[in-house]
Amino acid sequence: MPQSTKIIKNRIKSVEGTKQITKAMELVATSKLRRAKENMERIKPYFESLRSLAEDLMEANTDFSSPFCKGDENKPACHVVIAGDRGLAGGYNANLFRSLKIKEGDYIVPVGKKVCEYFAKKNVNILTYDYSLAGNVRVGDCTRIAQLLARDYKEGKFGSVDVSYTRFVNVLTFEPETEELLPFAPRERGEKKAGVLTIYEGGVEAVFNQLIPQYISGIIYGAVTSSVASELSSRRNAMQAANKNADEMIADLTLKYNRSRQSAITQEITEIVAGSEI
Amino acid sequence: MSEYRLKIVTPDRLVYDDLAESLVARSITGDVCIMARHTEYISPLAIGQVKVKKKGEWRVASCSGGTLVVTGGNATIIADTFEWKDEIDLERAEKAKEKAEERMQSDGTEFEFKLAELKLKRAINRINTKRM
Repeated sequence: MPQSTKIIKNRIKSVEGTKQITKAMELVATSKLRRAKENMERIKPYFESLRSLAEDLMEANTDFSSPFCKGDENKPACHVVIAGDRGLAGGYNANLFRSLKIKEGDYIVPVGKKVCEYFAKKNVNILTYDYSLAGNVRVGDCTRIAQLLARDYKEGKFGSVDVSYTRFVNVLTFEPETEELLPFAPRERGEKKAGVLTIYEGGVEAVFNQLIPQYISGIIYGAVTSSVASELSSRRNAMQAANKNADEMIADLTLKYNRSRQSAITQEITEIVAGSEI
Repeated sequence: MSEYRLKIVTPDRLVYDDLAESLVARSITGDVCIMARHTEYISPLAIGQVKVKKKGEWRVASCSGGTLVVTGGNATIIADTFEWKDEIDLERAEKAKEKAEERMQSDGTEFEFKLAELKLKRAINRINTKRM
């Protein structure tokens, strides 16, 4: 019996050690999450203005001379995939990867270390590894990604561009999502609004040439902030669950430990009593 | 003077969301002035200064590109970056200028050269706005 009490005691110690780590990770994720959510709030007006403008343009636009309006289904697509840098975040990375629809020979812009690892073994072309750390992506990086995508799209390297990320709904819900960026055309060909006469300074094409990289960069930046918030939130939830499990295990093991200690004592007493009776 | 609603947003923040009397911005074809009851209008913005007039007073800012939209009588500037004159960090702008000049001298692809050139333009614009 003393052997088994020792084993149990060691196990309790190891679970306590794990619990300390998960607790620390939870606290870190919580404090980082607060900042990530603030970030999301800050870019909201920008994001919304940009999106409503893009939607108006798509609806009202009748001039499709811009190269950004023409897609090509026969060419490979380009996917911007945004996920985490680290694991231990529940199903955060796996859920996103499961939702992807990627064909062989497509181009990928990975954002996040886990994405790079995931695609390393796949038969795809990686456009750039420059933005492999999702936590470090700033507005300027998104602008550069957008410029790169816009340039290659114009040259006809790929026929469409989309971005896959995890949308942050609230602290418990995040949905993997894929959003089409290019070709810049109405998604559903519904009835057109009665044409509002709009002056395009420098012509429609000039407006599109500048607006579209800005639009792509805005959407990507929005997607990155949303993904970061989702990752932290997901990690916090996973760590919370781990903590709870550790607590349960410790309680369980403590009970077992006490029982086995008690039975060892009982046995010793029985032995002593039995010895003294003779 | 009659006023209209002006909104200026950047990826970092909501810079301005208030009434304005007049706005002068540098579009890709030259300076444009927007006053109340302007028609529907979209223009890309070049790197340059933006001036906003409210209650008879002008405020100057540096803007490094974006889009100016007027819809339904309200104006919106969706800017890449936007700083009022008193917010500009002169030291940082000067450092960025040196760095961009250095990069333009070094060998690189045409694409990199263009990026550096844009960087230089932004830095010069900030410096000029601050020194106005």
